[in-house]
Amino acid sequence: MKIEEAASYTEKCFHGSPASCTCACPFHLDIRSLLEKVSKGKWASAYKLLRNETIFPVIVSALCDQPCSNHCQRTQIGDQAISIRDLEDACIRYVKKRKADAYNIPPKTAKVAVVGAGLAGLSCALNLARKKFQVTVFDKELGWGGSIRVHLRFKEFNEEISLMFSVAKADFQFKSEITSLAQLEEFDAIYIATGSGGDSFGLLESWDHELQTTSEKKVFLGGSLCGVSQMEGIAQGAQVSKVIEAYIQTGKASYINKENNFKECGRKLDHDGALSLARVEAKSTDGYSEAEAREEASRCLQCDCDKCLTSCEMLKRFGKAPQKMAIEVYTDTHVNPPLSTHTLARETYSCNLCGHCKSICPEAVDIGAMLQFSRTARFKDNSYPAALHDFWLREMDYAVSQGAFVSAPKGKKTCQYAFFPGCQLGASNPEHVLESYDFLNEHYDAGIFISCCGAPAFWAGDEERLGVHIEKLRQEWFEMGRPKLVFACATCENIFSMMLPEIKSISLYELLDRQSHVLSKCDLTEAVVFDPCAARDDDEMQSSVRRLADKADISLEELQEKNRCCGYGGLIRLANPSLYDEISQVRAEASEKPYIVYCANCREVFAARDKECAHVLDIVFGLSINASIPSLAKKRENSLELKKKLMREKWEMDFEAETHEWDKLSLIIGDELQKMMDQKLISSADLQEAIWLAEESGDKFYDESDGMSLCSMIKPVITYWVEYRKTGPDTYEVYSAYYHRMHFVKGE
Amino acid sequence: MVMAEEKLWKCGKCKEDLVKKRTAFSYLGHTFSTEVMCCPKCGKVFIPKELAEGKMAAVEQELEDK
Repeated sequence: MKIEEAASYTEKCFHGSPASCTCACPFHLDIRSLLEKVSKGKWASAYKLLRNETIFPVIVSALCDQPCSNHCQRTQIGDQAISIRDLEDACIRYVKKRKADAYNIPPKTAKVAVVGAGLAGLSCALNLARKKFQVTVFDKELGWGGSIRVHLRFKEFNEEISLMFSVAKADFQFKSEITSLAQLEEFDAIYIATGSGGDSFGLLESWDHELQTTSEKKVFLGGSLCGVSQMEGIAQGAQVSKVIEAYIQTGKASYINKENNFKECGRKLDHDGALSLARVEAKSTDGYSEAEAREEASRCLQCDCDKCLTSCEMLKRFGKAPQKMAIEVYTDTHVNPPLSTHTLARETYSCNLCGHCKSICPEAVDIGAMLQFSRTARFKDNSYPAALHDFWLREMDYAVSQGAFVSAPKGKKTCQYAFFPGCQLGASNPEHVLESYDFLNEHYDAGIFISCCGAPAFWAGDEERLGVHIEKLRQEWFEMGRPKLVFACATCENIFSMMLPEIKSISLYELLDRQSHVLSKCDLTEAVVFDPCAARDDDEMQSSVRRLADKADISLEELQEKNRCCGYGGLIRLANPSLYDEISQVRAEASEKPYIVYCANCREVFAARDKECAHVLDIVFGLSINASIPSLAKKRENSLELKKKLMREKWEMDFEAETHEWDKLSLIIGDELQKMMDQKLISSADLQEAIWLAEESGDKFYDESDGMSLCSMIKPVITYWVEYRKTGPDTYEVYSAYYHRMHFVKGE
Repeated sequence: MVMAEEKLWKCGKCKEDLVKKRTAFSYLGHTFSTEVMCCPKCGKVFIPKELAEGKMAAVEQELEDK
């Protein structure tokens, strides 16, 4: 993988990038940071920042025409821009001691001439002198300052220039006019900043505005001679000093152009919830008091985009910026243990892949897609923790083999419509599929397509398994005469539209809404619709469900945030159980009203939290709401019963499910233990198999004193343990069940 | 419920009392060894619930994050 591949996911993210005011500032001063320091009364560090960035803070605070104010985000919410210049002035007045700064480095022998002691020339001379170059400044006037020599506050400006040069020695040659560059032959580099209308020695036409070079290799040009403002001149002087330094060291003028980092001046941020605050007016004519300055500075919104970081529970928990995560997605594919380790494992498998971050991002940055990419990359290089997804992949294998049934209506080879209920709907409540199929069969002569869409393989990052399965689905669909598929599950619909875009589809709820005019009343009188994350882009599915609820006379309210994931998405439950709990709890508590859901997984998540919740199919078909959630083993049984019933009643076909010797065992499992097993995804069917194998072979542990036994069974990546006691013929009471993911190497 | 490790487990096949023995474990390409209860004869490894859900789970998570 190349870094560009991972970084492309977040290249538009501007979290942590310079604020709009900084982009507009000629010095690209970090105004957010400056104002944060001022708001805390940290005058010394505020002054230091100001001096380092603006070179001459007194002059800049007096003369800058504040282009930043037009880009202050306060103006986006109708407030006046923050008074930056007055705050800069306060920094200068309240810092205990104004100091100049110099590098403690040995002197250099290279000689630089600066022609013109105006602001641009001084800025360049100061920066080179601080780096210990031999700098000589020529000016035809009696002293420095150029155009500001006539300013009313020149005395203060003069003091500041003296202060700055007190630690950076330069040779000032005043009253010395340079009329020809031949006079400066002894110098290694020359910077000409002779002011507006000054002498460019015939080089203005060849001036390069980025590098400030000219056709004469060692001669550079800048300042108001080139038409820039005084402030731009100071900034330019600092910049050209770096170009000259590079030229002296390498013989080639170069500069790391960072202007691209500051180009987004026009960015409009969303300031939801920001309070309007009036500009603080100074009571004294001398300017802000310390308290006033701190108050004004604290008006800064410290604007930075952190919408996803504050809204998504996963991003909040890990606290990593999207760009940092993108780099880690890349570095994680170049891990070389034990020298380096993964940095992103838990995040990658803790994402619901629900699309929420993309939906709220001003630039539609999709962190979920990036982490899906990470899952795929880790699967490919075999560094993925298989145990995190093993349960669902086994369920998928079951759903596409034993649980699957694909057929056109009885007596037909093809059909116009086929119902794809998804593997969870029938497992969770077979009535949902039976009733829906009756309806579709009656009104649309629909066939049936019971299988898995492949989401578990997709979420595990197993592209190969997904690809093979998708080809199987394509073939089965083709053999049914390429029907339009009717989806009850938005996730199935998404996977199909992504992997099999040639298949036309429609939601079950839309068809139900078209055909059913008035629904019988159900127990619910008011509710909110909890839209699944997967239905985010399916407006028709969302509105059909609302219309169906409306027809049942249910008064609906809307959630503040729609299409948030219930917690199930991306199958994070084993990777991050506490995050899963947090998300499902937050969603369950998003409204006190009962939920109407149209995703079997949402229903299970909320039912497990005792949240009053109805599947919209309960309402449409008058089924009982708040039905209990079947255990994992019962779900498999439900799938088989559903298939058997459909085949017998609709196709007059018999189906005998695969049987196992351990099926005859009865297990007694207490409610508490069953709940724990469901949470940890331990199926009683696996325990049945483990006990049967142990009892057949004697390969177990036992305690003679109480007749207890303990056995284990290794499934491909997980070792299950079960503690039990025989209580009757083929009947066992289970006392505990647990698992571990590591394997032991026997006999070592 | 009786705590698994307080009990007097015997190996179902060898009828032997269990003894502590250094045993090698592997997970996600990492291998390490620690002392666990085993059958002294056939070497069958005994993992109680507390170990599986405690220290082993913590190590598993650590290795998954590496």
